[in-house]
Amino acid sequence: MTAIYSIFGRISETIEKLAAIHRLLPWILAFALLLPLPQILSALFNDYYIYLANKICIFILLSVGLNIVKGFCGQVTVGHVGLYAIGAVSSALISLHFGWSFWLAFPIGILAAGLAGIVVGLPSVRLEGAYLALATLGLGESVRIMIAVTPLFGSSTGLLSIPAPTIGSFTFDSYTNYYYLVLAAAMIGIYLSFSILRSATGRAFMAVREDTVAAAVHGVNVTKYKLLAFVISALYAGAAGGLFAHMPPGYIHHNNFTIIEMVTLLLMIVLGGIGHIWGGIIGAIIVTIIYDQTLEFYFYQPLLFGLTMVLIVIFMPRGIGGMIDRYLATKKFIASQEEKSNAAS
Amino acid sequence: MPLLETVDLSKSFGGLRAISNLNINIEAGSIHGLIGPNGSGKSTFFNLVTGVYQPDPGSKIIFNGHDITKSASHDIGALGIARTFQLLRLFSEMTVLQNLMVGYHTHVPYGFMSTIFNNSAVVKKDAETKSEMMELLELIGMADYADMPASELSGGQRRLVALGRAMAMRPKLLMLDEPAAGLSPVNVDNLLSIVMALKQRFGLTVLIVEHILKVVMETCDTVTVLDYGEKIGEGSPDAVKDDHAVIEAYLGQEMDDDEVRKAFNS
Repeated sequence: MTAIYSIFGRISETIEKLAAIHRLLPWILAFALLLPLPQILSALFNDYYIYLANKICIFILLSVGLNIVKGFCGQVTVGHVGLYAIGAVSSALISLHFGWSFWLAFPIGILAAGLAGIVVGLPSVRLEGAYLALATLGLGESVRIMIAVTPLFGSSTGLLSIPAPTIGSFTFDSYTNYYYLVLAAAMIGIYLSFSILRSATGRAFMAVREDTVAAAVHGVNVTKYKLLAFVISALYAGAAGGLFAHMPPGYIHHNNFTIIEMVTLLLMIVLGGIGHIWGGIIGAIIVTIIYDQTLEFYFYQPLLFGLTMVLIVIFMPRGIGGMIDRYLATKKFIASQEEKSNAAS
Repeated sequence: MPLLETVDLSKSFGGLRAISNLNINIEAGSIHGLIGPNGSGKSTFFNLVTGVYQPDPGSKIIFNGHDITKSASHDIGALGIARTFQLLRLFSEMTVLQNLMVGYHTHVPYGFMSTIFNNSAVVKKDAETKSEMMELLELIGMADYADMPASELSGGQRRLVALGRAMAMRPKLLMLDEPAAGLSPVNVDNLLSIVMALKQRFGLTVLIVEHILKVVMETCDTVTVLDYGEKIGEGSPDAVKDDHAVIEAYLGQEMDDDEVRKAFNS
């Protein structure tokens, strides 16, 4: 166990060293390292895993966004999947009906989700905890039902042949090609989440989560930051939705946006670490792979995931990220105290 | 001109008048004590001044020339009123340093947009803030615990962090709600010396609610005594000490002078 911890410790040290040279260096290096992943996957396993890599990138965007509002700002939202749906459907509709390119439809989808995020966030001004969860659950589900009953939004057949994005003559029409797009999006998303969460904004989010009265007294505009968290997470969800809609084969259906997806998403951040900056990323990778590899036990998945979530909340409340953090912090504290006592003697 | 002035401050919860027509002036640079039995309205007074509760119509709170009667908590904090809470309300899952950096929130020199578009400046500013907060932690003797989650500290250390978080706001007026509650005598003295040092260094005005009368009597310039939301006495600690209305309200019965002296000095 300690071996795993120290590996993480070494990785984070290396990242810090690289960032000291130039703060974008670790990101560019990580991007370059992950770029040949489809080729590696198809050589080692088979092409199916390239699809899985695409899915992981999209879920990273979703769970990183959810972690901002739920993990950092502490607002219990179960409507995130509805925002994901809004991003997917608006981007798909714009490119299907107006024939606009992905590069226009995608940002509009993100903006639409962001606006919807304000609506989902408004109850948080008055409601907390389980009550807020109920309100957002209603909003999220109503989006899905709206899609399911409106022929324009695809209703029961779904939206078909949503065009793939293109740059010049390069078309993102295969999982390998599309991977470059979602990887870039996921990296940008992660980078921005780090920038936001490591600034005063991130600290204000956490203060709101910990204690709204104390946060307000110390100068944090609680309403503003709650809404900001909702909007940022909605923008992430919108981006994930847009990328999902245009992913080959360009098909979305309201079944992609059910409450089961929402539970899976929650499991991602609970497992990865609620309120941990890496939480959404670790969780999205692990849960997407497990979800996919256990698809043959489809009927037992909700039970399995629900149980896992309960066990994690009881035995590992801060998730994998929290455990690693705690270990490293304790080690650092012990080392500094030892150093002090050595200096004294 | 007083730094904080309340005019006919009132607050009712349903039929209960928690504070009625309270006029308090807190002079700049002074240490002002607020005492009274439980339920006399001390904490309500704190909550009214810091915008946690809205006062009843007709009340007026003026701080440093600004009418803050209807201001929101975060605006009042930005004007320069910092407070601690009786139950501390630390951000317990955050580290000690992060707690202080939230206290610094109103002085953060960048907005949300620059975290995205000008992140290198943000990182630089945060590093500066961090070293400033470490100095403050050094002052209150908590620098060793900077990276510890606040929830893992002892009671006395948590009280110091709450004080540090309030001081990170660079306030003009520091309001302490029972800062010494639950502390051993040694820790009380330590805390008081820290408060006095901070007051000297930053030119603070301090309003202190405390049940340990020794603290109030030793440190305060002026003491206001509340009972049932009304002011029943005000003046220097010595004057208040001899006020029999105060003694009756606070200590429960009429006592002779020797007994009073004993009560105040224990």
